Amino acid sequence: MTRVRVTAPRQSATAAPGRLPYPREVTEDSDAGRIFIRSLIRSQLRLALVVASGFLIILAVIALFLVYGPGVAETRILGIPLDWLVLGAGIYPVIGLSAWLYNRAAARNEARYRDLVEDK
Amino acid sequence: MNPAVGLFAFLAVSLATAVVGFYGLRISRTTGDFYVASRTVPPWWNASAIGGEYLSAASFLGVAGLILLSGTDALWFPVGYTAGYLMLLLFVAAPLRRSGAYTIPDFTEARLDSKVVRRVTSLVVVAVGWLYIVPQLHGAALTIRITTGLPSWVGSTAVVVVVCLTVVAGGMRSITFVQAFQYWLKLTALALPVVFVLLVLAGNGSEPRAPLPINPTGLAPAGAYQHISLLVALLFGTLGLPHVLVRFYTNPDGQSARRTTLIVLGLLSVFYLFPTVSGALGRMFAPELAQSGQADALVLLLPGKLIGGVAGDLLSSLVVAGAFAAFLSTTSGLVVSLSGVISQDLFGGSVRGFRLAAVLAAVVPLGFAFMTDTLALAGSVGLVFAFTASTICPVLLLGIWWRGLTDTGAIAGMLTGAVLCGGAMVLGTLMGAGNAPAWLAQPAAWSVPSAFAVTVVVSRLTKNRVPASVNRVMSRLHVPERPVATER
Repeated sequence: MTRVRVTAPRQSATAAPGRLPYPREVTEDSDAGRIFIRSLIRSQLRLALVVASGFLIILAVIALFLVYGPGVAETRILGIPLDWLVLGAGIYPVIGLSAWLYNRAAARNEARYRDLVEDK
Repeated sequence: MNPAVGLFAFLAVSLATAVVGFYGLRISRTTGDFYVASRTVPPWWNASAIGGEYLSAASFLGVAGLILLSGTDALWFPVGYTAGYLMLLLFVAAPLRRSGAYTIPDFTEARLDSKVVRRVTSLVVVAVGWLYIVPQLHGAALTIRITTGLPSWVGSTAVVVVVCLTVVAGGMRSITFVQAFQYWLKLTALALPVVFVLLVLAGNGSEPRAPLPINPTGLAPAGAYQHISLLVALLFGTLGLPHVLVRFYTNPDGQSARRTTLIVLGLLSVFYLFPTVSGALGRMFAPELAQSGQADALVLLLPGKLIGGVAGDLLSSLVVAGAFAAFLSTTSGLVVSLSGVISQDLFGGSVRGFRLAAVLAAVVPLGFAFMTDTLALAGSVGLVFAFTASTICPVLLLGIWWRGLTDTGAIAGMLTGAVLCGGAMVLGTLMGAGNAPAWLAQPAAWSVPSAFAVTVVVSRLTKNRVPASVNRVMSRLHVPERPVATER
């Protein structure tokens, strides 16, 4: 095994042997391909924006509830004040759930695109 | 605390880093292993490595210290640090992996087909990296001073020397292994003492000196503006951090980049429970640390204060080891990605140039660290996130999702963000912590939208400069790789 010096980023690194970086049958060179790619990008962007704004709305609701919610300051669960519990532990599952749902939906968008392309 | 404890822990973690580095080096030899470690690195290792590199002095020491100081207000910091990764997942992870770019300047150059954009991005990336290394060195200085009684400069210099040696010697070629090891070291180093302290407290039934919600410093709670501005900085700053991007390159494809990010989110969520509990314990049992200005040292001092004896010393040395793992991993990650950028743009990309750049990348922030004072660690890292969010984030997000971005727009946006946010940071520092008004102390809420607006408006005005390659690059970013048979 020889040691190889790596000195510059290689754009070709994604193209592992035997695998193309993206399907060549439909590329940006054909009209249909352009439309498919545009709609893929649009659906991925829409999905990302929906998940991001959903998460931010939940965050805002939690923040407002902790400040203005009736009786929040006095509520304790197992001796721990409610605001500590919600901010210190409760938000993390929301983040994880958003990420999981996003991953599933994003993979589905890509599968739909691939089906479209491979039908051609 | 026994001074030998801190020294021993520091030496042990440096040695362990070197050993894991060289062990990993023997596995990864070829160019393919070096760049695309993916085929040998399972997603769990990769995610641990990302977590290991991300959890810096601010997370390890700063979060607990800030919770001790300002209570529930500070709980937004770990939430923001974690949610930043959610934004990274939603908007950046898969497209950036598919771009094939190794650094942010590589990405902007490929996307906008412009050398000038590359140069400006490089400058911004180097500024971000240097700003981010300084708090790490402050953390090291604080840790050495508190645990061994040696002068502060010893700690920061020691970190720079160890990082330079490992990077220059090429030991960081197996950086994935080192970083992954350091995530688990950091988690253990925070979790074990917390669990022990809780057990001891439950055992002797000691009453907290102050109930949880009481504020030991009497500082005023932060207003809504500060919360919003902080969250803007943390949510949009994470996705532009130079050392985070490099790690995504070790994923085999866009889908696995997403899966890795999901695991990272889990790892971060688990990690941040422990500084939170440490901070809460500090408020209840060691509020005097807040008054004596040692809040950032809370996690280091807690085991000695609440357990004491040999057990306390052992746990303290574990925490010190974890703290140094945090400084070393983040600093070396930053130094590696900075020297990549500096050596390509300044020294033509030779190995000699890379080593020279590595020394440059580590020594300049050391000078800054000597000149500046230790701020609250989580706060000063929060400012770096604000700077990243105002400069790199608009270019990255618009570059990935908007065909209309032009090189002129990108440069104008980065400069606007750098001037506005950098100016606010300098002014705020000159006025001194506590004197600066909220809008100056937390600039993200106005500097990030301004940078976005300038980028979009200038791009619109220079429509004719949209690169001809835009369709090709956009489809490369977003079209899924061909499914590999082994993957399903």
